[in-house]
Amino acid sequence: MDFSWILDILQRYVFNIANLQGMLRLATPVVLAGLCALITSRAGILNIAGEGMILFGAWFGVAGSYFFRSAWMGLLAAMLSGLVVGGLFALFSLKFRAHIIIMGIAINIFANSATIFLTREVFGVAGAFSDPNIAGLPPIEIPILKDIPVLGPLLSGYTFIVYLAWILVALTYVFLYRTPWGLHLRAVGENPQAAETLGINVQRVRFGAVMASGVFASLAGVYLSLGHLQMFTEQMAAGRGFIGMAVNTFGGGEPVGVFLSSLLFGIVETIGWRLQGERIMPVYFISMLPYLATLAALTIFTLRKQQAKKAALERAAREA
Amino acid sequence: MTTAVEMLGIRKVFPGVVANDNVNLSVEEGEIHALIGENGAGKSTLMNVLFGLHHPEAGVIKIRGKEVHIRKNADAIALGIGMVHQKFKLVPSFTVAENITLGSEPRHRGIFLDRKAVHDNVMEISRRFGLQISPDARIQDLPVGVQQRVEILKALYRQADILILDEPTAVLTPKETRDLFGVIRSLVANGKTVIFITHKLREVMEISDRVTAMRDGKVVGVTKTTETNPTQLARMMVGRDVLLRVTKTEAQPKDVVLQIRDLHVFDDRNLKAVQGVSFDVRAGEILGIAGVEGNGQRELVEAIVGLRPAWNGEIQVKAQNLTTLNIRQRREVGVSCVPEDRYVRGVALPASIEDNLIVNNYFKPPIAQGPLLKPDVIARHAQELIETFDVRTPSKDVPAYALSGGNLQKVVLARELSAQPDLFIAAQPTRGLDIGSIEFVHRRIVEARDRGAAVLLVSAELEEIMSLSDRIVVLYEGKIMGAIEGARATEEGLGLWMAGITSEGSPEAAGH
Repeated sequence: MDFSWILDILQRYVFNIANLQGMLRLATPVVLAGLCALITSRAGILNIAGEGMILFGAWFGVAGSYFFRSAWMGLLAAMLSGLVVGGLFALFSLKFRAHIIIMGIAINIFANSATIFLTREVFGVAGAFSDPNIAGLPPIEIPILKDIPVLGPLLSGYTFIVYLAWILVALTYVFLYRTPWGLHLRAVGENPQAAETLGINVQRVRFGAVMASGVFASLAGVYLSLGHLQMFTEQMAAGRGFIGMAVNTFGGGEPVGVFLSSLLFGIVETIGWRLQGERIMPVYFISMLPYLATLAALTIFTLRKQQAKKAALERAAREA
Repeated sequence: MTTAVEMLGIRKVFPGVVANDNVNLSVEEGEIHALIGENGAGKSTLMNVLFGLHHPEAGVIKIRGKEVHIRKNADAIALGIGMVHQKFKLVPSFTVAENITLGSEPRHRGIFLDRKAVHDNVMEISRRFGLQISPDARIQDLPVGVQQRVEILKALYRQADILILDEPTAVLTPKETRDLFGVIRSLVANGKTVIFITHKLREVMEISDRVTAMRDGKVVGVTKTTETNPTQLARMMVGRDVLLRVTKTEAQPKDVVLQIRDLHVFDDRNLKAVQGVSFDVRAGEILGIAGVEGNGQRELVEAIVGLRPAWNGEIQVKAQNLTTLNIRQRREVGVSCVPEDRYVRGVALPASIEDNLIVNNYFKPPIAQGPLLKPDVIARHAQELIETFDVRTPSKDVPAYALSGGNLQKVVLARELSAQPDLFIAAQPTRGLDIGSIEFVHRRIVEARDRGAAVLLVSAELEEIMSLSDRIVVLYEGKIMGAIEGARATEEGLGLWMAGITSEGSPEAAGH
């Protein structure tokens, strides 16, 4: 039988340079949201506030860029907002012992309304704010690499944050497994009492983890608002904070795992965009695709875990 | 000889309780000092004060003759005090070496872990004290005895000279206990001082140089071990004469009540916990299941009562197949159980004692009439059981969590035995109880047997198994290693079976 049509479709809709570029771009905010979830979950904290943190990051990125006419100032403003929101989240949930889920929900709702409010008050517009004065992050061409065929267009020419996300994946790995603080963070996440009796300040480690998660999330936010189009749109986080949590679970709480599962998300979203152009499916259905993919991935992940469990049962039964 | 630790006039008050009342403790350098007492006597409080986890209202602590102020855990560690807690504080997915060095890891260029130094330091300290471990093994893969060794090394790595061991033998096999005692002796030979918390009097006699006994927050006696005996120590701890041995008559076994054939059960990690176990329990006898914890006992009990599915095999009570019945149906057949974790499965902690006493029969007369409960009957029911089982409580309406462990266990016993079971399962029934309560629980178990119930006793305490059981089987890695009549069993022989050794013959022979 002739399967060349399958290859054809795969090449047309999935594996071509443009799509792979799209994948890497669209995966970037998810990678960062995933790191946000990772760093807190490995410290034993269930942080569902990533969504709100992303939204704040996006807004302050645009504001910083608009007022200082500099994308770098936007980046800085966003990161500061991440530190502040992360700090508040940590202060209330860790120090004042507010319920961590309620606190997370509160931050998400607050971020949603606060950014809508601020957009209207500060920029005098509703829904979305864009302006030629908002400086975008320039693409970075990597010398030598950019001239290599295939690899050049694939790996060169993205904005700073894309590369930063890759670097942060590596740094997070090194931090977790090669530094004493990473060891402390994992110990705190796995057995806080053990860490405590050895003189590790559990509270401080968790505080740090939440602050770091704020920075990761805010970078995801800046990428959304300054990475491509220079604009802030209401609710532009669009669930990426939660997808970050899914990606973290799917990636087994490992930096590289988070990166790879984010790519999966990125490719699905890219295909979605392509299909929108083809008009073969209703647009609303297509924009559901990334979320459906997340759902499917998690379901498959869980099913496979259950299957492995069952297989182990049967193996043990045969041995007995 | 100098004094390593001196605690003078220590007073520690918790809301409503004086945990330590003018307590004096003096431990000589290089000695093994046993600290004994019933639960709630204040031993752990005293040690937590010494280790900087509690702050006393009054009192002075001197370490090596110098007065010190221990405000936090880190102060105690800096003074060379180390503590091995009853519940280990290890990170399961970390290696042995990572656990030992955690919190004070050697670094490489200031910011990186020096993994070679971590490994080497741990090897060095393990060699110096003759405590063998493999630094790269993960904690989750190691047996309890080795995990405990890691805890001791953790303290030694932090240069502890004074080691506090909180009930260290509670989780060990007899063999592991002997190894631990060897380790303790070599530590003392290396100039360390050991404070050994326990309520097992035999161990006190075997390992300690001196003993301090506590009762109700006060020190009631200090003596050299050579100048005392278990009976005297028990009297000191409890404040009255205690029967260390259970008195019971010869068993009169009748029909088979519980029949188990080729039972296989999985644990929570989906590993086979019970592997092809078969045995019978007859009416009027106590079958003791001995074994180190985690060898399938929990899963076996849960499979019988219906908390866990049996993978295959037969469970019959009074010739009725249980495997297809749900928990309530099994109870209706005549199964009662004192579960091993009384705080989780034994009682509902926030519910009143009265309510806890009816959870097994609230749905049927006389407690209920149709869909309605009968408060007056329930109240009378509770009052009666509280009296017969001597539950010490201000009223039947207080929540279960307000009771001490011993009284809580009496509530569980009262409920389970009042159902007049044909099969009575007691899982670790005296764990964590003091000598007085243990005596009570043991008497009730023997009474249940004499009434004609088949009793399945599961316990990790060899002494308990040996003094109560008419027959004993030993579980090791989910299999029965051997069975023997209670009267013919010896501790050494059972100990071998518990360690999985059969080659040295029957437990009877091995004992002589």
